Amino acid sequence: MLRAIEGRELITLDGDGVLLRGTFHKPQAHAPDAEPDPGTRNPVGLVLLNSLSLPRAAAGDSAVYWADSFASCGYPTFRFDLPGLGDTTGEIPTELLSFINAGGYGPVGSAKIKELVERFGLSGVILFGHCAGAVSALYAAAASGEECKGLILLDPYFHLPQAVRPKLRQKLSDWALQSRIGGLVSNVYDRIRDITLILRGDALPGNANSSLLSCWKGLASTGLPILLLKAPARKAPGTKPRVGEFDYLKHVLQIAGRKSQVAVQLIETADHSFANRAGRASVRRHTERWLSDSFPLTKRGEVAVNVLCTDTDNKKGYAKYQLDCLHG
Amino acid sequence: MKTQHHGDGGVLERAGYFDVSGAHLYTVLHEVPDPVARVLLIGPFASERHNSYLPWVRWARYLAGKRMEVLRYDYRGVGESTGSFEEMTFEHWREDVLLLAEWLKARSPNVPLVLHGLEIGAVLAARAFNDGIGGSVLLWSPPASAHQALRSTLMRWVGLEHLYKSGEEAKSAAEYIRELEQGSFIEVEGYRWSSALWRDSSDVTLPSSMLDETTAALAYDRPVRVVKLDRRAAPLIKGGFVGYDEAKDFSWLFAPNSDWITASLAAQRGDSHVASD
Repeated sequence: MLRAIEGRELITLDGDGVLLRGTFHKPQAHAPDAEPDPGTRNPVGLVLLNSLSLPRAAAGDSAVYWADSFASCGYPTFRFDLPGLGDTTGEIPTELLSFINAGGYGPVGSAKIKELVERFGLSGVILFGHCAGAVSALYAAAASGEECKGLILLDPYFHLPQAVRPKLRQKLSDWALQSRIGGLVSNVYDRIRDITLILRGDALPGNANSSLLSCWKGLASTGLPILLLKAPARKAPGTKPRVGEFDYLKHVLQIAGRKSQVAVQLIETADHSFANRAGRASVRRHTERWLSDSFPLTKRGEVAVNVLCTDTDNKKGYAKYQLDCLHG
Repeated sequence: MKTQHHGDGGVLERAGYFDVSGAHLYTVLHEVPDPVARVLLIGPFASERHNSYLPWVRWARYLAGKRMEVLRYDYRGVGESTGSFEEMTFEHWREDVLLLAEWLKARSPNVPLVLHGLEIGAVLAARAFNDGIGGSVLLWSPPASAHQALRSTLMRWVGLEHLYKSGEEAKSAAEYIRELEQGSFIEVEGYRWSSALWRDSSDVTLPSSMLDETTAALAYDRPVRVVKLDRRAAPLIKGGFVGYDEAKDFSWLFAPNSDWITASLAAQRGDSHVASD
C-alpha cells in the first residue's frame, strides 16, 4: 500500500493527543516529498472541513474535485476528517448538529490549523466549509487568530435548526411540496410569517445562533477575506430568503462593518449539496477567481498574500506582502 | 509522515493506496496482531457511500476489536480512490474485489478470509464467493441485481428532484432511463452514470443459490449468511435522516453478525475445508 500517489498524500496530524486523518493535495509543481524546502516558506493552504457527518470526500466526492482543482492552481490543499467523522477516530455526540452549532469543533479545528501551519511551513490557511462545515470553519477561524487568512463558506446558516423535525411538521411540509392545495396553504403561511417578521422589525429571531453571529462579526469586521457562496433555496429568489424568513445574509453583511471584505455569490446551477456537476464547477470557478484576487499567485510558485498583521499600535490592519517562492 | 495510527482499542489503522490498472484504490487496513480471521468489507454503491460511512467504519473497528483484521476500501472512481467514475463499469469493481481479496489472503494464507458486502457490495461479494473466494460470506441487504439497486437509487433521486424542482425542470425516471438507453450520461447525486454502467448492471446478479440461506446451505459447503436490513439500520441503508443517525448504537446489528463470523470460523476449522483462493 502506498501512502502517496501522484498529486496526493495521506497524512495524519497527531499533536496534542488528537489524531486527524486527511488527504493532502499537493500544489502543482510542489516538491515530491511534500515537505517544504528549508529555503522556501509561506504558501497559504486551503483546508476543507467535513459537512455534518459526511466523510471528507463530501457528497458526490465534490470535495475531492475542489481540492484537486485548487491544488492544480498552486494552493496546497488539505481535507481532514474531524474527530469521530470519516476515518478519524473519536466519539461523536448523539446530537452532532447541536454540538457543531455550539462550536464543538472550534477548539480542535484551531489547534490543528496551528499544527498544519507549522508542519507545512504555511503562512496561514483559508478554511473551506459547507453548511455545518461552514459553521465549524467560522468557530475554528475565530479561535485561530492570525493563522486563518480567509474563509470560503458554502450555504452557511446562522440559526439553530432542529436536528429532527416533528413528524406532523414533516408531513405538512411534504404535503405542501407535493400538492397544489398544499402549495397554496404554504404560500398563505409564508405571508402570515412575513407580517410577523415585519412587525418584529430588525430583531433577530429567537433561534438565531448568537455565538456564531458573534464569531462572524469578530472575523468579518477585521477585514478577513470571506467568500460566501449560496445555492438557490426553494421559494427563495436569488440570495433573498423565502418570504417570511429572516434575512440572515443581509444581517451578517450589515454587522460585518465597513472594513469587511465579504464577497457573496449565488451559484444558480447548484442545489444545497453543491455536488451536482454544474454547481461544483461553478463553485470552483468563483473560488479560483476569488483566490486569484485575494491570494494571488504572481508567477510560478510565488504567492502574494493579504496577511493579517498587527501594526505598532497593536491595531489590526491589512498589508500586502510579497512572499518568497514556493520552490526557491 | 505517518499514515498509520492506533484507532480505538489500540488497533492499528493503516490507510494507503492500492495500485490497480489505471487507478489507485483507497484502503484502510485495521491491523491486529495474530488475527483469527481477515475480513474484506465490500461497500455500497457510490452515492450510498457517504451516508453509510460512519457505521461502516465503526463496524470495521468492532470486528478489529474481536481480533479480526479488516480491510475496507473505496471502489475505483469513488470517494478517496482515483479514477473517473463515469468510465467505470461493474467489471472494474469486480476486479477490485478480486485483487484485494487476493492481497488480504496472501498476508497469511492459513487465516480464514471472510467476505462481507453491503447492498451492491453484497452482490459483488456473493459473486466472488460463488467463484470460490473466501471461507465464508456475510451479505447485508443484497439486491437481486446491481440493476435493481441502480433503479432504486434513481427512483429515489427522481423523487427528491420532484420535491425541490418545478415541473418543467424535473425529469421523470422514464426520461432518465431513456437517456441512458440512448447512450447518454445522466447525473445522479453528483455521479455521472454511463449507459454502459446501466446496461452491464443487469448482468451483475446475485447467484440464485444465495437468494436465501437455506438454498445457500445446500449449494455451498462454506457458511453463508444473508441479512435483510430494515430502517433501523439507517444510515447503513437509505431511510434515515442525515445528521441524526450518525451516532446511533448498532450493537444490535454488530454483535450477532460478529458472533456469526466467529461461529463460521469454527465451522471452517471443524471441517478444515476453507476455500483456497
